[in-house]
Amino acid sequence: MVRSQSADSSEYEDQTPSREVWANGICMKTSEVEAKLDEGNIQEAESSLREGLSLNFEEARALLGRLEYQRGNVEAALHVFDGIDLQVAIQRLQPSFSEKQPSRKGRSRGDSQHAVSQHSASLVLEAIYLKAKSLQKLGRLNDAAHECKRVLDAVEKIFHQGIPDVQVDNRLQDTVRQAVELLPELLKQAGCYQEAMSAYRRALLSQWNLDDDNCSRIQKAFAVFLMHSGVEAGPPSLAAQVDGSYVPKHNLEEAILLLMILVRKFYLGKIVWDPSVLEHLTFALSLCGQTSVLAKELEEIMPGVFHRVDRWNTLALCYSAVGQNTAALNLLRKSLHKHEQPDDLIALLLAAKICCEDSHLAAEGVGYAQRAIANAQGRNEHLKGVAIRILGLCSGKQATISPSDFERSRLQSEALKLLDAAISLEKNNPDLLFELGMLYAEQRNLNTALRYAKQFVDATGGSLLKGWRLLALILSAQQRFSEAEVVIDAALDETAKWEQGPLLRLKAKLKTSQSLPMDAIETYRYLLALVQAQRKSFGPLRSVSQAGDDRVNEYEVWHGLADLYSRLSHWKDMEVCLGKAGELKQYSAEVLYTEGVMLQGRGKVEEAMSSYINALLLDPSFVRCKILIGALLSKRDTNALPVARSILSDALKIEPTNRMAWYYLGIIHRVDGRIADAADCFQAASMLEESDPIENFSSIL
Amino acid sequence: MTEDCSSSEETSTPTTSISQDTFTTETTTVTTSAFNIPPETPSSSSSFNTHLAIQSLSSILTTVSPSLLSQDQDPAFYLLHNPDISSQVSSLLRLPDSGAGDNNLCRWFYDTFQSSEPQLQLVVLRFLPIIAGLYLSRVALKKPLAGFEAVLLAIYAHETTSRAGQAMTVNVPDLSHPSIYHESKKPAKDIDAADLNLAVISPSLEPHVTVRSTKRARIVGVALELYYSKMSLMPVGSKIDFCEFCKVWSGQDGDEYKDGELQDDQENVEFRVDQGNLGKESVIKEGRIALPWELLQPVLRILGHCLLGPNKDKELICSASAACGSLYSRSLHDINTQAILATRSLLRLSKMALDPKNNVDHTEIPVTDVISL
Repeated sequence: MVRSQSADSSEYEDQTPSREVWANGICMKTSEVEAKLDEGNIQEAESSLREGLSLNFEEARALLGRLEYQRGNVEAALHVFDGIDLQVAIQRLQPSFSEKQPSRKGRSRGDSQHAVSQHSASLVLEAIYLKAKSLQKLGRLNDAAHECKRVLDAVEKIFHQGIPDVQVDNRLQDTVRQAVELLPELLKQAGCYQEAMSAYRRALLSQWNLDDDNCSRIQKAFAVFLMHSGVEAGPPSLAAQVDGSYVPKHNLEEAILLLMILVRKFYLGKIVWDPSVLEHLTFALSLCGQTSVLAKELEEIMPGVFHRVDRWNTLALCYSAVGQNTAALNLLRKSLHKHEQPDDLIALLLAAKICCEDSHLAAEGVGYAQRAIANAQGRNEHLKGVAIRILGLCSGKQATISPSDFERSRLQSEALKLLDAAISLEKNNPDLLFELGMLYAEQRNLNTALRYAKQFVDATGGSLLKGWRLLALILSAQQRFSEAEVVIDAALDETAKWEQGPLLRLKAKLKTSQSLPMDAIETYRYLLALVQAQRKSFGPLRSVSQAGDDRVNEYEVWHGLADLYSRLSHWKDMEVCLGKAGELKQYSAEVLYTEGVMLQGRGKVEEAMSSYINALLLDPSFVRCKILIGALLSKRDTNALPVARSILSDALKIEPTNRMAWYYLGIIHRVDGRIADAADCFQAASMLEESDPIENFSSIL
Repeated sequence: MTEDCSSSEETSTPTTSISQDTFTTETTTVTTSAFNIPPETPSSSSSFNTHLAIQSLSSILTTVSPSLLSQDQDPAFYLLHNPDISSQVSSLLRLPDSGAGDNNLCRWFYDTFQSSEPQLQLVVLRFLPIIAGLYLSRVALKKPLAGFEAVLLAIYAHETTSRAGQAMTVNVPDLSHPSIYHESKKPAKDIDAADLNLAVISPSLEPHVTVRSTKRARIVGVALELYYSKMSLMPVGSKIDFCEFCKVWSGQDGDEYKDGELQDDQENVEFRVDQGNLGKESVIKEGRIALPWELLQPVLRILGHCLLGPNKDKELICSASAACGSLYSRSLHDINTQAILATRSLLRLSKMALDPKNNVDHTEIPVTDVISL
């Protein structure tokens, strides 16, 4: 920035022979003046200007300063400006304006004088402004900021009621706009962050008659500063707060507000598109997890600003981030259509990932994942492992609804093979350990599953609840209840109170399985106390805004208790618990099912049956319900046996590892006289019983 | 039973602190100003504390000259900015067993932070990137970490008190209501909290006496939130340390995205194919950690400051964009959509900031050959 004077002047001499100055209708070549300046004779240069153009001292100085500034001789320019007593000049300007300003009626009379004053005001202000710029270029930022502030203070003094729209000289207005924009910039560079904050606010909240471009640049710069300066701005001054209007409370709010205003200005056609504004807004809104708001903003942007596929893909990311996976997937289907961009790797991965969470979409996901593997090339090759992993997950999910046993086992082994392949590419990704553990556990390959679960807990340092839960469930499936309890206790030690709900529930179930009902009831009682404390400390509003799945779920507590009492055949207590659970969750298939169990226990078989059927109507794939219906039907008479058998087969199709289904199917075979089949079924049931977890493995997810 | 006693001891404490509810996110700003005591006017007790801290530090470090105490400038400021001290402390911290409970340096950090001297606390925060970085990366290695944990817990406790346990929330504005910066046709009076989207950027804080493993990320995250709020006072070296650890945490080298994530530069892609396969995959990264949002969010805010903050330091911007590339790569590996959006924006913005097209100085006057009055 700082240029040496001599080198510069020689360079400029041969470049600009044609530079001229104009004033009072006279034109003058500057070469002579410049020569004098180069010799250091400011006085002489000034007097030749004054003579040549019939100027007064200040005008001549201002012209000289500007000339030097343009020639890049900032130090010399500064020297020239120092010669003008700007303070006096400003004071001289003040009264002439403040008298004029209120008397608008008599404008025509004072017009010519007015113009003259404005002219000299413009001259003085420009001189101060250029002085600030010169100081900036010399790196004297504090001084520069001080001068720049003087421009604005002077303008505020001269124009009491803001700058009028019509009657202002363009040049003056330009200087004001530039000074408004420069001041916060200077303060920022000087490291005076708090002052910069107030300078930005002053720029945006006072009447400077800024144009749209100018104002938008300031708004954007302010938003960026608010977001990234690391300095809290504090609330805006009370004077700026118009009654009833939205006042941002802290930096992030204010930045988001400004960025949204900028986006709106763009689609109202007031400013040209600036892609960085949207990126800043994206960053800000994803930081607060408000990507649904971002999606709305994106949808409002006019077509033609960016490619539709980019818009769809970004929208899909936004929707998926707030859990609206269906919307995201629909958008991705559009963007991955063969006429759009079918090879976009990120879109493919996201689509496959959304699909792998839903067994009915898993087959579609397999397609996306395969395409992702094919496209993981070049600099995206590092994502190949991810694509393989997602393909494995899709296959595993697809297996759960496959119609034939053969297909199912093929898909399952495929899934394991893929996850093994993925882990060799992604050696340091513990998520894969968990997924392998889950897959093996669901296939009841418990020893291998246990190994992976242990590795996962180690690799994550026990920081993830799901690791502990998987470990405990696998141990419970191996009927190692006391070890499972040790795991749960260790996990409880590593968890804060509010996240202990799922663990305590598991613990209660473990106690139940160990035939320790009193301990289980004690645990449930503690859980209920936790629910109470939670309600008191968080309040209804809190729990909505911070809703986490790991909160203690009151419904589950009551339902678990009801389940426990049903095992003890305490029908009265069970009824109470069930009533509580029903209040918390209406139209719950689970509640209806448990009610059926209670009715059946009390000998009301017909009512029980209707409860089961109602539950099944609410949730057609409710396995436990199907099994009990099958069991009830099998006891009725031989005519009902085929129905019972088909409903049990149905249950097994959904959940092939359900031992109760195998058991009742065996009974039906026995009643029907197919002893060999019955033996097979009983054997399956007894084998599965030895590997039955206290809760479904899928409950962890 | 273990969980019974631990929880009964806890049931009482958080509820009392939480019940003093009001909407006070402002508390943080209050303490910020309290923190920024100008270095020229240290009170006598504070300078005493500072000297004490320096004396005990000099017994730990090998070559801190006692002449420090006679420095003209504020000694705490000197501690914060002196490169010799920083490099010595850093290398001591990076020793393999530095996180142990009986480690002198950790003890010094703990005591210094507890002195409640804002300037000294800044010195501790200056090394937070290294402490947090090593701590999280070493958890899976089963090394002794009690010393690091004590420091982190002290910072967490400080933040919990100064925020009174409150959550930090953001009301995402709705432009259909007028604001201080714009007008709107809709009548101003029906602004209702329910109309605005309330976002929790940092949930309420519960006191923690030990680091429970499921709370580890949160405790470090809160410490980083405090670091973020003091970032404008931090020396560049500390921020660069932070960026380095972001790369380690991500477990990705992220070189693929050094020049932004866009795929439009096809020629570049081909160039990389030749270069890229030189065993990059074979390097197993040590120190990769799980990056839940509670940790990633403050990390990204800090990176945003490094990349786009007012202090433009070349070296810092360089390592911050490298860190950003790594985290982008990592969020693709996790298919973490929120993180993809945020890191991708940061990458794009850092690329745009380097583009001279976007760096036109609009405050410059137009250069003309004819200068008129």
